[in-house]
Amino acid sequence: MARYTPTNTPIRNYAIAFFLSVFFLYADISSQTFAPLRGIINASSLYVQVISKSVVENISFTFSSLKQNKYLLQENKKLREQTLQIGLKDFIEKKDNEEKTQVIDFTDTLFSVFKSNGINVFKIASIDLKNYFCCSSHKIFLHNPNKIKIEKNFPVFAGNSFVGQTKKTYMNFIEVILLSDVEHVLPIKSDFFYCDAGGRGKPMLISCKLNDKDFKNQIGDIVMTSGLGGIFLKDIEIGFISEIFPITPDEIEVVITLKTNPLDENFYGIISRNNEI
Amino acid sequence: MKFNHHLIVLSSIIFGFWLDDYLNQFSIKYFIELNFGFLIFTYWVFAMPEKIQSLAAMLYGLAVDLFFSNAIGFNMLFFVATSYVIHLYVFRLRIFSYFQLSVFFSGSSTFYIACKYLLLSPYNYSYYVLILSFLINAILWVGIYLMMRAFRRKIF
Repeated sequence: MARYTPTNTPIRNYAIAFFLSVFFLYADISSQTFAPLRGIINASSLYVQVISKSVVENISFTFSSLKQNKYLLQENKKLREQTLQIGLKDFIEKKDNEEKTQVIDFTDTLFSVFKSNGINVFKIASIDLKNYFCCSSHKIFLHNPNKIKIEKNFPVFAGNSFVGQTKKTYMNFIEVILLSDVEHVLPIKSDFFYCDAGGRGKPMLISCKLNDKDFKNQIGDIVMTSGLGGIFLKDIEIGFISEIFPITPDEIEVVITLKTNPLDENFYGIISRNNEI
Repeated sequence: MKFNHHLIVLSSIIFGFWLDDYLNQFSIKYFIELNFGFLIFTYWVFAMPEKIQSLAAMLYGLAVDLFFSNAIGFNMLFFVATSYVIHLYVFRLRIFSYFQLSVFFSGSSTFYIACKYLLLSPYNYSYYVLILSFLINAILWVGIYLMMRAFRRKIF
C-alpha cells in the first residue's frame, strides 16, 4: 500500500527554482549585486508616495468642494478665501521662519565645528523605521532637489555630531548609512584606547572589542572620533560609554551610545569636496 | 490560472507584507514579529496547489524581495521551498484540524523569521521573538485562513 498520497509535484522545476533563488541570495549577500536595483526601487517608491499624496489631497479637495451648497459657497467664498489666504500666509511665514532659523542654527553649528563654509545642508526625505528599530540595516534618505553632486563615503553631520556617511545617490535622493548600521565602522578614541567601532544594529548604539588589561575607562566617559579612517574629522565628540561587558577573560566589549538621535533631526550637513580632510 | 488571478494573489501577498512592515515597527517592541505576508502566501498554495507551482512561487518571492526585502532571493527561496513542502503534503494537510494546521503554518512562519534574522540581522536574533511570534502567528493563521477563504470564494 502506498504510504504517501499521490501529488503532481515535479521536483525538477522546484530544484531549478530553489538553486536559482540560492544563487540570487548568495550573490546579493556576498557582493551586494542587486543593491543598485533596490536603491532605485526605494527612490521610486518615495516618488510615488509624494505624488500620490498630492493627488489624493487634490481629489479630496475637489470632492469636498462639490459637496458644498452652491449658494453658501458663493456667499462665503470671498470671506473663506481671505481667511484661508491669511491663515496660509501666516502658516507659511511661520514655517519658513522656523525652517530658516533651524538651517541658520545648524549652519552655525557646522561652521563652529568645521571652521568652513563649504557645507551643504539637506533635509531628510525618509528614514527606514522598520529596519531602524529591529534590524541591522540603518539608513536614511536625504532630499537633494538641486542634484548637488555628493560623492560616496562623505561624513554626514546632524545636531552636534556625526551620524553616518553617504552611500549612494539615486535621482534626487542621497542614501546615508548611519553609524549604528552593522556594516558601518567608525574609528574612535578615548583617553585610554583607540578602536574601530562597528554599528550594533540597534538605534544609537555602536561597540568595539578591547583588551581588558589596557582598558581604564568607566561608564559615562566621552568618546571621540580618532580621524584614523581618513573620512571623519578627528576630535569630534561622538557619544559616551554606556555599557562594558566581558566576552572572554581577556577581552571586553564596550558599547557606546551615540550623541545624536537621527529621529530628532530634520537637517543634515555634508562637507563638500574642497573641504575634505 | 489567468494572469489577472495571479495579480490578485500577488496583490494580497504584497498587502500582507505591507501590513507586516507597518505593524512590526510597533509590535517588535513587545518581541512579536507578525508575518501576514508569508501566511497569506502559504494559504494560497494550500488552497490552490495545482495553480500556484514553482514558477509562480518564485516570481511572487522575487516581487516581494524587490519591494520589501534587504536581499534579493530570500523570499524567492522560502516561497519555493514552502510551496514544495505544501505540495508534497497537501492531501494530508487537508484532513488536519484547524489547530494542527495553525501549528504547521505558524511553525513554517517561525522558521522563516528565524532564518531571516540569522541571515540578514544576526545581532537581533532572539528566542523571545520566535516563541511569541509562533504563538501570535498560530492565532492569526485561523483568522487569515477564514478571511482568505471567503475572499477566494468570492473572486475565483
